[in-house]
Amino acid sequence: MTATAAKLGTLEYIKTIGVTNNGDNGRGFANPYSIAIDSSGNSYVINRCDPVRARAIRASVQDFDENFLFEFSEGYGSGPGQFVLPVAVAFSGDDELYITDEHNNRVVVYDAKGKFLTQWGQGGSEPHEFDGPAGIAIDSSGNVYVADQGSNSIKKFTSTGEHVSNFGSDEDGRGLNQPWGVGIDDGDNIYVADWRNDLVKKFGSDGTYLETYGGGGDVRFNRPSGVAVDSEGYIYVTDWGNERLCVLTPDGLGYADERGRATLSKWAIDYFSSNPDETTVRDKANLIPDLPPEYSNDPYHVSSQTEPYFWGPVAVTVDNEDRVYVVESNRHRIQIYKRS
Amino acid sequence: METKNVELIAHLMRRAGFGATRTELEELAAQGYEATIDWLFNTEKDDGIEIDLARRYHPDYSGGLGMAGFNAFWLHRMINSQTPLVEKTTLFWHGVFATGYAKLAQGRVLMDQIEMFREHGFGDLPNLLVKLSKEPSMILWLDNNDNHSGAINENYGRELLELFSMGVGNYTEDDVKEASRAFTGWTVANTDYMTMKARNDSLWPYGRLNLHFEFRENDHDQLEIDFLGHRDKSAGESVVDIICQQEATAIFIARHMYSFFVADEPPVPSWPYTPPRDPKAIEMLVEAYFENGYQIKPMLQRLFQADFFKDETVWYEKVKSPSEVVAGVLRLTGEYDDYDPAMNAEAGSVGVMGQSLVNPPSVEGWHWGDEWIDTGNLVERVNFASSHFNDVTKPGVRQMIDGFVLSTGGHASPERLVEVCLDQMGAVQISHESQGHLVAHAARDGSLEVNGEDAGRRRVAEMFQLIAATPEFQKG
Repeated sequence: MTATAAKLGTLEYIKTIGVTNNGDNGRGFANPYSIAIDSSGNSYVINRCDPVRARAIRASVQDFDENFLFEFSEGYGSGPGQFVLPVAVAFSGDDELYITDEHNNRVVVYDAKGKFLTQWGQGGSEPHEFDGPAGIAIDSSGNVYVADQGSNSIKKFTSTGEHVSNFGSDEDGRGLNQPWGVGIDDGDNIYVADWRNDLVKKFGSDGTYLETYGGGGDVRFNRPSGVAVDSEGYIYVTDWGNERLCVLTPDGLGYADERGRATLSKWAIDYFSSNPDETTVRDKANLIPDLPPEYSNDPYHVSSQTEPYFWGPVAVTVDNEDRVYVVESNRHRIQIYKRS
Repeated sequence: METKNVELIAHLMRRAGFGATRTELEELAAQGYEATIDWLFNTEKDDGIEIDLARRYHPDYSGGLGMAGFNAFWLHRMINSQTPLVEKTTLFWHGVFATGYAKLAQGRVLMDQIEMFREHGFGDLPNLLVKLSKEPSMILWLDNNDNHSGAINENYGRELLELFSMGVGNYTEDDVKEASRAFTGWTVANTDYMTMKARNDSLWPYGRLNLHFEFRENDHDQLEIDFLGHRDKSAGESVVDIICQQEATAIFIARHMYSFFVADEPPVPSWPYTPPRDPKAIEMLVEAYFENGYQIKPMLQRLFQADFFKDETVWYEKVKSPSEVVAGVLRLTGEYDDYDPAMNAEAGSVGVMGQSLVNPPSVEGWHWGDEWIDTGNLVERVNFASSHFNDVTKPGVRQMIDGFVLSTGGHASPERLVEVCLDQMGAVQISHESQGHLVAHAARDGSLEVNGEDAGRRRVAEMFQLIAATPEFQKG
């Protein structure tokens, strides 16, 4: 499925945060998978990795000006507060961080200073149990919504993990299929990146099905991974299979498509200032190359060799100034935009 | 008339795939040997592999920062693919055209090369060699980015002839120079930056940056080539065409095929001095090569249909490579039908046994055969298999034990215990000597009763462990 024209508006590129950090600690990201922004504009980024780099799995915290603040985790594994395959993070109204882990089948809760508080959930096929929890969102009442991939549903819990309800199975005659990201708007409506159906679906906080996006017209998705909504109701979708960010108007029309415009982050500039030999050679390289036909029709391959483009956009969120943060797992960075 | 011999189909599945369970063998035997060959070559059917899921769950595979994620996913494919011959042939070409991470420091570009083998491995050799010559991984691996008009670098031209197509003794030093000249200007885009990133193993600022082929006409030596007695325009394609017309190339590829799919031959450097184990088999494959326009698939079809392949004298005459051991065991234990992070450790075991995929020891690749089972590696192989068959809760182990109970009614003499366990592990045949040792061991505890209690099932699993240590199981 390919992208179609959708040009009612544009996005302003603001900046890029991040640099690859394949080590165990310090600034930079290692396959970032999700982001949450606190009221001060500090970003909390979940570094996922694969088991081979298990020690790099952690949450790292930095401010908007790329000052690295701190990092935290309880390590790799299934013990209290630990992670194996963390997927998504969301802040509650109490400034607590809720983090899903699709391997451990649970939600882990930390405070904003990185102190482990509690965890809840377990694997299984009962209504209250998880089978691969992915995206997470929290409404204004503190209810927690988790996209459960294996059961193809959204599971709603109280803030303490008491199961409330499940929804999303067949409201529009086409149930969720391995959903990934979950977003929420100011009216507590729930938006789900229905990954394997190539759609985004909207539900009321009680689970009532409301609308589907991307099923036709000028907007078509290919394996959407994340969804977020700004204060005016504009919808932002990381269209993972097309390696782009799609912006929809509140009534679902295509507003803008963004392929990515990353520039060097502050940390990247620091790297090159310490490695001038690489800088000299890099300056002569074409980082947006014209690709031969065997590559040019495949967004994944195009992105793999076009540095400014999104590559592996796995999550999106919006801060309290309606700035949009796109998390790129394969490029270990965050690109920030704002609707013009 | 089609044979429905389960043991023969088990032999076919060990060579053309990574083994098969008893249940799979029964299904294939019901179709027959010829139908099984057709099934193996059918690339139209769904292979059951979901790339999007792999990218979603394994960021290391998706982004190619290193190779661990890729190796885990390739192992997943070996275990679960419904087109196992495609995976086996891909492994075959990776062994012939060995390219390694150690020099490239770039995972994605190696993954692309392996995918190219998967896509074109059954096709015609000229196409495969041209695509290989354009693979950025190969260009950097053998320094063709330093092969310039007026200042040739012979590395790729030499290995193309020596290790990838004809073998030493079938060309001159002048031919090496002429071939190299024809490949001048075949390079990668952003050459200087890419080679610097590889040299520095740099993953900054934003991970690995994939590469693509670039032809630079202004760096290409246009002067006509005089290569292997042919005068032609200077082009890599011309060199490949001439190479593929040579009988030496057909023999070279045929020997590789025989050694990989039929029976172990000595390593490539010995070939000029050591005749083929079965010259008539090589002759048949060479005929298939020329009769079918240098196509690989007809060669393989003739190989699997030939009496020299079906003959019991070549059964268990190949030492399994580490990837075959690991994939074969995990196919039987049935524990990885999904994407599990534990697969990384299993893929790591392949490397511990001496075969780090996409990181061969040199451009010569791995030496197959007895070199796989030096003392240390043999212990690793046996321990790996033993540790997996030990767990009676693994789905495949449970299924094999259930099959054992179904066959025996839960009562078995030591002889019957050994016999049925061999059958459950994929119609394995072992020597009388090995069988005698296993029966003697089983006899220590007398006849077996499996009546739902754990102890009986554990005795069956213990026999699986012992069978995995036999020379026949370690071969294929």
